[in-house]
Amino acid sequence: MIELMLFAIGYAVLAMLVCIRLVKGPSGVDRAVASDCVDTLTTVSLALFAVFSGRSIYLDISMTLAVLGFLGTVIISRYLEGKL
Amino acid sequence: MMDAVSISLAARIIIDVLMAIGFIFALAGVVGLLRMPDAFCRMQSSTNVATLGMLGAMIAALIYSICIGAAGMAIKLGCLCVFFIITNPISSHAIAKAAYKFGIRPKDKMVCDDYGEDQEND
Repeated sequence: MIELMLFAIGYAVLAMLVCIRLVKGPSGVDRAVASDCVDTLTTVSLALFAVFSGRSIYLDISMTLAVLGFLGTVIISRYLEGKL
Repeated sequence: MMDAVSISLAARIIIDVLMAIGFIFALAGVVGLLRMPDAFCRMQSSTNVATLGMLGAMIAALIYSICIGAAGMAIKLGCLCVFFIITNPISSHAIAKAAYKFGIRPKDKMVCDDYGEDQEND
């Protein structure tokens, strides 16, 4: 089923589009929002590729990426808040 | 999986429609993230990506992995969906509070500002 691979490539392209906002965002908050979004899109792309290729190891990588992205977002926002 | 497994036409249609809905929502969220005027509006568009843009593709992958009989993958995808549903409100709440404390205000005049009034009263 090739559509899974096509949509995985589409999500990866969307993640690259968000990198525009990541580069030119005016403040740190915009960059934090954009990096959270990049993380979500990359996780979805990896999960679709894992299901397409039938290998479960990519799914482990995407779960790790989701956990680390959540922790990074929370820690960056604590830092911007001034409590770290 | 190459073409060793065959799944029924109805399941293929359901999977494709779910992935297309998820991709359209993710595209709308990304366009909003690139074109909205200030940080709070961009946060709202980013939530659009994180809820239905993620959930559509994940549920499509879940149905596909159930159809090809890979139970381990289905369980992992379900755990991933539940994890995202739990953690997205937490992280977006943290970012919004950090944006307010960082000194970012909406571009137009705010109609109501309950958090600021609470800060003043304390």
